[in-house]
Amino acid sequence: MGLIELAAAKALASSAVFLFITLLMMASAKRISTCIVLFSVQSAIMAAEILAVAYAGKSVESYAVAALVIVVKVVAIPYLLFRIVRNLKASQDVASSTTGAQSVFIMAALILLSFFAVAPYAKTLRLDEDLLAAAIALLLAGAFLMVSRKKALMQVMGLLVLENGILLAALTTTFGMPLVIEIGIFFDLLMGVFLMGLFVFRIRDTFEHLDVSKLRRLRG
Amino acid sequence: MNLAIDVIQALMLIAIAPLVRGVIARIKARIQNRRGASVLRPYADLLKLFRKQDLVPDTASGLFRLAPVILFAVTATAAVFVPVLHASALFGVGGDFILLVYLLAFGRFFLMLGAMDGGSSFGGMGASREALVSALAEAPLLLALTSVAILTHTISLSGIVLATVQQYPLHLSAVYVFALGAMVLVAIAETGRIPVDNPATHLELTMLHEAMVLEYSGPSLALIEWASAVKLTLILALLVGVFAPWGMATGASIVGLVLASGAFALKFAVSAIAIAVIESSIAKLRMYLVPDFLGMASALAILAVAFTALMR
Repeated sequence: MGLIELAAAKALASSAVFLFITLLMMASAKRISTCIVLFSVQSAIMAAEILAVAYAGKSVESYAVAALVIVVKVVAIPYLLFRIVRNLKASQDVASSTTGAQSVFIMAALILLSFFAVAPYAKTLRLDEDLLAAAIALLLAGAFLMVSRKKALMQVMGLLVLENGILLAALTTTFGMPLVIEIGIFFDLLMGVFLMGLFVFRIRDTFEHLDVSKLRRLRG
Repeated sequence: MNLAIDVIQALMLIAIAPLVRGVIARIKARIQNRRGASVLRPYADLLKLFRKQDLVPDTASGLFRLAPVILFAVTATAAVFVPVLHASALFGVGGDFILLVYLLAFGRFFLMLGAMDGGSSFGGMGASREALVSALAEAPLLLALTSVAILTHTISLSGIVLATVQQYPLHLSAVYVFALGAMVLVAIAETGRIPVDNPATHLELTMLHEAMVLEYSGPSLALIEWASAVKLTLILALLVGVFAPWGMATGASIVGLVLASGAFALKFAVSAIAIAVIESSIAKLRMYLVPDFLGMASALAILAVAFTALMR
């Protein structure tokens, strides 16, 4: 039994580092498919974290949430996104408005910023500082991906990363939300990806490109 | 006894350097569905070059012949400071990572001088590109090593390795992870592998290292090739020693050394396979994207240094 406890503790302690790695790799990624794979990996790390919390708290609901994360975020959403990318037949480039090095620099700055942002709260509330900082970093990174990438699909990616941040923040501050709410959120997310997928197709059909920086005029 | 081990491990590093190159070339060939040359081919190449005539261009000065000798001597000296089987390297007390970094820079400086002295336009072009890459690679390399040094409270390489060996293996610090990321990117640029430089090409306008050595022949070329092989082995040993030193001998026992040799061979085999896979699956970057590539290394290295303050 000692081994599982050790593994659970390690998963919690070092998962923040792995989340930061996925964020930095997402910042340097040049292809949309790389970002999708990284999102899937990121969600898998989240699932491991929820499993560790479930094991520590002996809560059945958390196991269900972990299973939901694996089904929806690790498998279903990446699969859907891959299908969209394949059917769009557009180029794989994320069309970043910052260069790779700039993106990684900004992402590193965001990670440091989130550490400074959570430091006062983590001390008074006696929370895990690394994980809370990782949650804030995921939020900021999602927003950064949305504003800096011009390809319409990357806005969806940014939103998904942002949502991962909210899930992690909830997990570290309250040891997870009630199952009903989690199910609602996941359903929302899945529908959101469906709708945004349709929306991306409409953008391509109407404007013949996916560059959101060029969407300035109304077209019927 | 310790001194003997230190001498042996430094000589070993220099002696096996061509073999490491041969192994990487062989694995690469296998991945690309070719049979590939024997892993001992680099030794045969060196032997052949040493027996050939050394041609010097009419326009070149004495520096042209001197540069390869200095390059090899400096690289061999740097090899002495890298821990391989045993945590403390020869003169390990006096040498720190700053010396190692600048020994390598010194060698490269003379290689660039020699290339420009050769008088061909290719040499000058290659030298200016190499200067750009090395200027950009130096900062992240120093910063990444500095972050590890801050974490282990010592600037001597053997001290860093000793501190890491004695650490609990599962204790994963964010500093190590980011520093490793930066060091891997820098190592690719420093050793002239894909995606920064292509070691397998002679006739391309994008080449860096090969453009510099184009005018060299015979023993001079052999020394340069051997030195660059030693540099590749040395940087791999440095990566392995700083970030995955487990299995390295802490005392001077025979059993420990045998185990350390086994662990060393295993770790080198893994890194050779990793290099071959990366080189076969990635295309070379355009020259203008190399600063961007090394900028990522800088960002990671700065993050690693910042984390030494956060992860107290």
